[in-house]
Amino acid sequence: MTFQPTIAAAAIALAFAAAPVLAQVPAGYPANYQQLVDAAKKEGKLVVYGATDSKAVQPLVKDFNALYPGITVEYNDMNSTEVYNRFISEAAAGGDTADALWSSAMDLQIKLAAGGYALPYKSVEAANIPGWAVWKDMAYGTTYEPAVFVYNKRLVTGAEIPQTHADFARIIAQPKFKDKVTTYDIEKSGVGFMFMTQDAQDFPQFGALQQAFGAARVRVQSSTGTMLERISSGENLIGYNVLGPYALVRAKNDPSLGVVLPKDYTLIMSRVQFINKSAKHPNAAKLWMDYILSKRGQTVIANESKLFAIRADVTGETTSAELVKQVGEKNLKPLVVGPAVMEYLAPAKRMAFLKQWKETAGKK
Amino acid sequence: MPTFSLPGAVKSTGADGERGARRRRLNWPRAIVVVLACLAIFLPLFLIFYQSVLSAPFFMPDKVLSLDAFRFIFEDSDFWLAFKNGLLLASGLAVIAVPLGGMLAFLMVRTDLPGRGWIGPLLLVPIFVSPMVMGFGYVVSMGPVGFYSTWIHQLLGVIPWNVYSFTSIVVIAGLTHVPHVYLYASSALKSLGSDVEEAARVSGASPWQVMFNVSLPMIMPALAYAGVLVFFLGFEVFGLVLVLGDPEGHLVLATYLYKLTNKLGTPSYHLMAAVAVCLVAVTMPLVMAQRWLLKSANKYVSIKGKGARQKPLPLGRWKWLALAVIGGWILVTVVLPLTGIVLRSFVQYWGEGVKLADVLTLQHFRDIWEQPSLVRGIVNTILIGVIGGGLAVACYTAIALAMHRKPDGVTRLLDYSVLVPRAVPGLLAGLSFLWVFLFVPSWLDTVLKGMDNGVAAWLSEHFIPQLRQLRSTIFALWLAYSVVWLAYGMRLVSTSLLQVGPELEEAARAVGASRGRVTRDVTLPLIKFGMLGAWLMVFLIFEREYSTGVYLLSPGTEVIGAMLVSLWAGGSTDLVAALSFINITLVAIGLGIALRFGVKLHN
Repeated sequence: MTFQPTIAAAAIALAFAAAPVLAQVPAGYPANYQQLVDAAKKEGKLVVYGATDSKAVQPLVKDFNALYPGITVEYNDMNSTEVYNRFISEAAAGGDTADALWSSAMDLQIKLAAGGYALPYKSVEAANIPGWAVWKDMAYGTTYEPAVFVYNKRLVTGAEIPQTHADFARIIAQPKFKDKVTTYDIEKSGVGFMFMTQDAQDFPQFGALQQAFGAARVRVQSSTGTMLERISSGENLIGYNVLGPYALVRAKNDPSLGVVLPKDYTLIMSRVQFINKSAKHPNAAKLWMDYILSKRGQTVIANESKLFAIRADVTGETTSAELVKQVGEKNLKPLVVGPAVMEYLAPAKRMAFLKQWKETAGKK
Repeated sequence: MPTFSLPGAVKSTGADGERGARRRRLNWPRAIVVVLACLAIFLPLFLIFYQSVLSAPFFMPDKVLSLDAFRFIFEDSDFWLAFKNGLLLASGLAVIAVPLGGMLAFLMVRTDLPGRGWIGPLLLVPIFVSPMVMGFGYVVSMGPVGFYSTWIHQLLGVIPWNVYSFTSIVVIAGLTHVPHVYLYASSALKSLGSDVEEAARVSGASPWQVMFNVSLPMIMPALAYAGVLVFFLGFEVFGLVLVLGDPEGHLVLATYLYKLTNKLGTPSYHLMAAVAVCLVAVTMPLVMAQRWLLKSANKYVSIKGKGARQKPLPLGRWKWLALAVIGGWILVTVVLPLTGIVLRSFVQYWGEGVKLADVLTLQHFRDIWEQPSLVRGIVNTILIGVIGGGLAVACYTAIALAMHRKPDGVTRLLDYSVLVPRAVPGLLAGLSFLWVFLFVPSWLDTVLKGMDNGVAAWLSEHFIPQLRQLRSTIFALWLAYSVVWLAYGMRLVSTSLLQVGPELEEAARAVGASRGRVTRDVTLPLIKFGMLGAWLMVFLIFEREYSTGVYLLSPGTEVIGAMLVSLWAGGSTDLVAALSFINITLVAIGLGIALRFGVKLHN
């Protein structure tokens, strides 16, 4: 999707670019930040490849443009594999590609950054986000999205609503849930795969959970939307490891969906962003990165994009601060932005996990 | 005639100099057409084969030649499962579609069945509706909590079917492919006189006996051809299995290939290409078999000379049974899925215990309207159907003319070449075209940069960036569509070309018209209506196409078909329903126009 400001706005922006206006540097930024803003305005454009829905990104772009008029943001919405595929093939073929990549496939993002595709840039906001979310001043975690249980409120009630992972394994063993449990198809969904391997590490009874999935003949889907649709219609009763933001947004408008944050531990995924080393508009990309991590940007992420702000100083319903309040700091398990997430990209290891999963949970 | 229709080889200059030079000039158009056609057909295919014997995507620096990709897929149990399922699906398809299609053809062409006028067009609907849309229609109408399943559940207390089971997928695929058989069987029946059947009827055979013992055996070659065709189509089924096979994990080769996009976490183009090569290895012989069968399909036709006098066979009391069979088929294959989609696109949410009247809404259409990419997708779909369809027919005509009355090696080469893309599934053709558009410019650029002269530098400066831009324009998509449907389109055009008697063109040549002039003033005007009909058919096919655009989808090249696959993967079911509804409307308009102007929907 492309957002284009009017010609008038561009003209005004050009006029401003000629005569720098210091007021545009956000409060507390170093004095020389104005140079970056000017350079970015000279570039006038920014291309982002992202795996977040255009609808959720639109308010961010609007606010970014209000802060730094004159920079056209071209946001391209694709799925996370596509972000990776498109970027590496375009980088190899030469020609235009993205300035910034922003994706929920943490492993692929780190792989690209580690592979030398990322521009090292120490964001002025780096100190304001948790240390685990920054890798080598290249890749930054930007959101704080929990994996949740989702259930059908009309058909699942009371004690049948799981509160912990152990509850979940026990509850789906009942005959009522046979053929009615759903989760990501981990062969197709990168996020689903990441959550599941993390569960294998963090949840001591993971073996039992896998068996329970197998006994309930778990139905797998490749996307969050399909899972939510099936749960809402009653075709499935309960969903495992559903990406929180999407579930909460839909549950707001759909009276049949209920959402539970697991009380024993809640996995946290963070959308990772980095700047392309050969970006055509590196300064605009730096500005964008700082903006996304700033309090202003994070407030938009929380309140309008509903993606859960990673900064602790942002408050509201969809923020990390709120999650800490609900399940306690020690029960939140963020996936660390760093090479550890790439562990399962080694084909042998990945295939072994998939094989084992299919032999237990996926058996038909 | 031989002097006029000599192939590209030109006699040397000398005394005949002026004439020879002119002829060489005149043959340029043909040479260009042949070269472009071969490039468009073989370059993507070459890339697929090349990619399949590499160890990594072909643009990565660390790739080496190796057969690892084949080793990997041959060791993957999913591949064999997908292969087995593919075989089952294809055979099931043939077993269901051939008898039913033959029977429908007999009833429609040979009997006095009531309501044939309006049943005819309905029979063809499944051909022109995207399988993606069909599959989705079955989920919302007959899925575990589909609209109709819920009613049945209230009535009977149980739902007697499971739409996600592999059996259901085979049955649905079989039923939706009946029209393909019907088309060939009915045109074969139409070319036969009905006297043999009447003789059988007079000697006391029931309509069913006539059908099984007389009519269908007579059109055996056409049925065999149709059988091979649906078997082949069965191997290509993608959308239906993508939608219906997901919940229980049923795979066929095309969906296995799609799944490989993500299975290893990083893109595995080499694995996908290896699967593609295996797929082509199966489909190519089938395509060649079709060609061979089509050639021999006329060999049983022995009673043509008497003129095809045809008298409808009275069905008598069998009428109601026949009507019930046809009605049942239409209900299951057309009415159920399509009404399901229409309903779904107008409700907010659905399921057990939800009253439909309470949740009616136009919100999904408003949502589409608010997303520029979806609006672009709709506009592009119309453009690629109307303008792209017209351009495609123009190209097909150019290729057909390059083969027209020139029985030489080049024609034979083209004749087989145009069949080749048919064997490559659309999903993969799209992917390979993406590669072509990504890498051909950069190869050309490298070559030009190495040439070190002014023109090359200028080209690399100005022409290459333009070439790069092509990828994100609808041209890329149009080219892929046109190549994928090349064989189909060529058949449409060459059928009308065959109807032009050679003496007309010879007469024009005899009075001194140049070859170009003959084409312009004689041949083209004569096939004008055939081309218009082909345009409409190509429009319908382009509206329905979905898999070719999947990998070519980028801002600017959105079309409804590819958006459906992408939105479905993203889970935006509301939008899928509303877009499907719009897609069906477009197809219905095209079909309406075709019927209004009496375009033959088949040949």
